[in-house]
Amino acid sequence: MPNSLSDGQADQKNPKPHREGSSFSIRGGLDALFDATEPIVEVLIRLCGWSAIVFVLAIFVFVFAQAFLDFDHSPPTTWNKIDPVEFFTSVKWRPDSSIKPTYGILALLAGTGAVTVLSMLFAVPLGLGAAVFVSEFCSPRVRESLKIIIELLAAIPSVVWGFIGVVAIGPIIIDLGLSPVGVNVFNASIILALMSVPVIVSVGEDALKAVPDSYREAAISLGASKWETVYRVLFPAAKNGLLAAVLLGVGRAIGETMAVLLAMGHAVQIPTSLFDPARTLTATIASELGEAARGSDHYHVLFVIGVVLFVIAFIINLLADFAVKGIKAGNE
Amino acid sequence: MNNATMPSRDIYITSSTGEDCYPTWDEALDALAKLPSEDVKSVRLIPGETGSISRGSNYYFDTHLMGLSGNGTEQDPWPDLAAAAADLAQDGAAAKNVTIEIKRRVIFTATRREDWKRIQQYIVQFIFFLMVMALVIPVVAILGYLFYKAMPALSYSFVFENPRDRMTAGGIWAPLAGTFFLVLISLLIAAPIGVFAGIYLNEYAKNNWLNRLIGLAVVNLAGVPSIVHALFGLGAFVLFANFGESLIAASATLAIMTLPVIITSTREALAAVPMSFREACWNMGATKWQTIRTIVLPNSISGILTGVILQVARAAGETAPILFTGAAFYLKVADKGAGYWFPYGLNDKVMALSMHLYTLMTQVNNAPEEIVYGTAVVLIGLVLAVNSLSIGLRVYLRSRKKW
Repeated sequence: MPNSLSDGQADQKNPKPHREGSSFSIRGGLDALFDATEPIVEVLIRLCGWSAIVFVLAIFVFVFAQAFLDFDHSPPTTWNKIDPVEFFTSVKWRPDSSIKPTYGILALLAGTGAVTVLSMLFAVPLGLGAAVFVSEFCSPRVRESLKIIIELLAAIPSVVWGFIGVVAIGPIIIDLGLSPVGVNVFNASIILALMSVPVIVSVGEDALKAVPDSYREAAISLGASKWETVYRVLFPAAKNGLLAAVLLGVGRAIGETMAVLLAMGHAVQIPTSLFDPARTLTATIASELGEAARGSDHYHVLFVIGVVLFVIAFIINLLADFAVKGIKAGNE
Repeated sequence: MNNATMPSRDIYITSSTGEDCYPTWDEALDALAKLPSEDVKSVRLIPGETGSISRGSNYYFDTHLMGLSGNGTEQDPWPDLAAAAADLAQDGAAAKNVTIEIKRRVIFTATRREDWKRIQQYIVQFIFFLMVMALVIPVVAILGYLFYKAMPALSYSFVFENPRDRMTAGGIWAPLAGTFFLVLISLLIAAPIGVFAGIYLNEYAKNNWLNRLIGLAVVNLAGVPSIVHALFGLGAFVLFANFGESLIAASATLAIMTLPVIITSTREALAAVPMSFREACWNMGATKWQTIRTIVLPNSISGILTGVILQVARAAGETAPILFTGAAFYLKVADKGAGYWFPYGLNDKVMALSMHLYTLMTQVNNAPEEIVYGTAVVLIGLVLAVNSLSIGLRVYLRSRKKW
């Protein structure tokens, strides 16, 4: 008791400066306000946390609804007018035909497939090679600069990549005498490869980094060179993550729109050579949706293509996610 | 120890010229000093036990075997042969009836296989280096080429003038302002949702199926093709919410598209705050939200900002999502006054820089080359500048990190 009394006296002798006291009370008031809102904020945080699921579902629902539900004339739906077999197996994409419009996306699928496969032929070796170099073979300083450059590479907008395809790579293809037309599958593949490499590098590097250092140390103490360590130890250990890197690269290539729209030409055909122009699913939507009358068959079919793209992207991301989860589970 | 009192005995020094015998330490040391050190194969005193001195960059002498103390251990080697010999003389090793051998010994010799492995390593490393260069050099060259072609157009007035004469003359102010407002509004939508979602995932979410599903949803949201986002924006914002093709619809579409960027980087920034910070705060009796607000967020704000800036860069460059949700080929914008600075209402269509580039390439046949290149370069410059800001912030942060 005497102690507490003397404490009180000491406080009276040395009162705190007035300014500090008053600012403290304002701060305290704000704190109290913030604290009082805790239940509301927590609800808000939870809602935002769940929003990702809501948005993914919403994307599917809205695109699906536009594709299959005709809001103007209920109840007919697009499936009544489009034969699903024809849709997936016909190469005839003739939405503008006044006699009998046909909607077959096989040629578009082939265009997407061709450009994706070809771009991955460039991007996977380069991307994984760069990932290995960045993760294993260079000094920390070089690593930091390379990562920054690759990050900037990823930042270049897709419409600019398309522009580069048209004004830089197209003329080179013509000058080399490879093809009389600059915009074709080959051009778009190079562009797509450059666009998907940053994804492959960064995911691949993460996968290599996730391999415990003890693996490297064990390999080196057995007398393995760095390269032997990489391809005998790190590749097998990180194969799931590297697979995820490739899958995400594929996802990026399939989903890319503006670059392929500009750099690949417009011909709807199954490409038979590297230098054929072709058209992808994404480019078709981008170039035709603006002209398709709202509510027309053409309009709905473009949304159906959107659903197809969504499903493809969903599957690829799911696989990539499982691959990554695979490594994590394996390491634990 | 006085050398003169040492008993006379033979000291052998073996070198490439053969083995010489010296009666005293002094003579031996003189001879030793004259020989090039790599020429000395061994110094031997007989009779006695053998200690070994191996030659690497330094000389050391196994004093354990000698029963000596002081210098010359593996931890504290002699810098050169002369010092070794002098020290041995000082310690009177000779008096203790031991044999000292100084030998040139290479412990591990590279076999041919190991040589080949080393060469292979260099070759592989070089190939991988070439791969990286195959990525970096063309891109740098192309960007340089674009910049070179755009040089004639780039000027103050190019940036701040509106397009004229069916976009074949003038500058890029109207699309630039449109991009600014698109980015700003998408940021206002995406930043709070994204940051809160990041907080939820890192601070509140337990490891159960629902939150794994959320993680999966974030990954998928990032992976949905941009043109599908455009379809979603058209269906949800333009038609369902009845915004029409407008600034707000396009911004909302961009916001949802770029949301994963903010969520992921917020989550990473929060995860970088050590758990002990939170535990210390909880021990003071703070609630979860108090802890987040006063400890976690202030310590991770820069990391969160990095993500927000990345979102800006991403949103500024996108074309496909705004194609059908609000971007216009061309709009007449006032040349001065409030209409110059704020050209678009929330319900108006907008021009955007990325869309402008697309329009110039595909819709305008006679656009002068330097205007097209100029637009592309400004767009690249803008996006790269914003990205560099984010990278700079991150590097700065890492250098200051205290824990």
